[in-house]
Amino acid sequence: MTAAVVAVFVGAYILIATERIHRVAAALGGAALMVLLGVVDAHVAFFSDETGVDWNVIFLLLGMMVIVSVLKQTGVFDFLAIWAAKRVRGKPFALMVMLVCITAVASALLDNVTTVLLIAPVTLLVCDRLALPPVPFLIAEALASNIGGMATLVGDPPNIIIASRADLSFNDFLVNLAPLALICMVAFIGLCRIMFRSAFTYDEARAADVMELDEREVIRDGALLVRSLIVLAAVMVGFIAHSALHVEPSLVALLGAGALVAVSKLQPGEYLEEVEWPTLVFFMGLFIMVGALVEIGVIKTLGEAVTDAVGTRYFLASSILLWGSAVLSGIVDNIPYVATVSPLVQGLVDSGGDTPQANALWWALAAGADLGGNATAVGASANVVIIGIAARNGHPISFWQFTKYGLVVATVTIAIAWPYIWLRYYVGG
Amino acid sequence: MRARNLAEPFPTVSLDADAMAAARAMAAERLPGLIVCGDDGRPYTVLPGSQVLNFIIPKYVQDQPGLARAFDERASDELSTKLAHHTVRDMVPKAAEADELPVVDPDATAIEVAAVMARMHSPIAAVIDGDRVLGAITVSRLLTHFLP
Repeated sequence: MTAAVVAVFVGAYILIATERIHRVAAALGGAALMVLLGVVDAHVAFFSDETGVDWNVIFLLLGMMVIVSVLKQTGVFDFLAIWAAKRVRGKPFALMVMLVCITAVASALLDNVTTVLLIAPVTLLVCDRLALPPVPFLIAEALASNIGGMATLVGDPPNIIIASRADLSFNDFLVNLAPLALICMVAFIGLCRIMFRSAFTYDEARAADVMELDEREVIRDGALLVRSLIVLAAVMVGFIAHSALHVEPSLVALLGAGALVAVSKLQPGEYLEEVEWPTLVFFMGLFIMVGALVEIGVIKTLGEAVTDAVGTRYFLASSILLWGSAVLSGIVDNIPYVATVSPLVQGLVDSGGDTPQANALWWALAAGADLGGNATAVGASANVVIIGIAARNGHPISFWQFTKYGLVVATVTIAIAWPYIWLRYYVGG
Repeated sequence: MRARNLAEPFPTVSLDADAMAAARAMAAERLPGLIVCGDDGRPYTVLPGSQVLNFIIPKYVQDQPGLARAFDERASDELSTKLAHHTVRDMVPKAAEADELPVVDPDATAIEVAAVMARMHSPIAAVIDGDRVLGAITVSRLLTHFLP
């Protein structure tokens, strides 16, 4: 039985990684086979904390997607990008710095895929007006979204999974990963100056054109924007205080989404527009597959083997986890990877007695998975989305064109994360 | 009434015709579209006016219509210059999308013509007799026939 369950899991994982069939079909097919094999029943799939669908993850994602759907109706991202272009008077490098900073901050507060979906169109507009090549700007935004997304619990789906599995709070992420994201962003901006230097040609006449743009024109509903920002601020306060309030982040997001829907008076089609149902269903299938491995004891056996191998050498384990996660996340989608590895890391952390050194394994996993997503064109969903938008607008970005920049950024940021983890948890900790 | 009776003379353009000239012809004669003939002189596809707009208006504006407000008069005028140095071939949908043409034979009934236009969201249907273009039927011509 164990061999059959492992074979189904590996088979589904290969299908997800190679994209031979749609990842949702692969995850649901794998989950269905787990049920047919008799390993998973309704309790195991839906109601068990250890093996079931992690509803906190699903509803946190759903809530944030609804919030983004409403925010999208306001035109706030278009406003910010045009404001930024005017603020820097059309100077290309300064514009790139502004755009990547906006993207990174927005990715920390919202989902990074949605952030690039909203920022990319206005980036194309600004680049058109400044006669700048948009590809370097779009690639830089995708890379910035993955770095910024690392900073918070809600910034990147792997963080949401890790937070739920490890019972980590929004503030835990903020305190442990936001400083690293900030350092990585500073290094990333320096890299942008070097990597994209040929794109920074300044045209005074074109810059004057941009100064003519009126950013207030793109605000579609000013009153809704104000209300949305108030609710978003309340949601952020809710995230920060969720441990003290004993309210799960998923409930904070759902309450925020509900409040936004109520104040926006939008129709269901509008406030559900950005909900990626295939992604949510993919997560469910994935959780059931991983739950089956937990149920038959594969994860426990593997966890014990890993724990024996690691012993008390947590820095070595963190290093392997950081670099290994980065490499694997560059090759395959980091969501199934983190969903699979989290129970193993949980075992290691538990055996370490919940010390800062053992808990640092979570941060190594999150940093590796989030930053490693930058390594290749298919490493993170944001990369794939930005390449799709570029192609549709007549600016195709090849796999290698993206990867040659992504690989540099991933390597440098992981190289920064490594001493950060060492100094913070194993020298100073 | 049959398609041959509903058909009106209609200009055709070749795939290699100048995109700007084709758009000007459409505008000057208030045509909902043009019949495009392929390299062999046979009808290749119908180029509706909306496809010309689709070519001119950046995809990012189509994806995020709110950005249209950021275009002032000068920027709007610049958009039409996109047609310069392009041919009709650049504006028509890709070959795969053009597999099925809004084309009817001369004996097609009015309902058959309407069904073709509705299914293909085309403002005109070309009436073809063998390799010869007899003309085209526009939506307005068809509605004039249908409405009491």
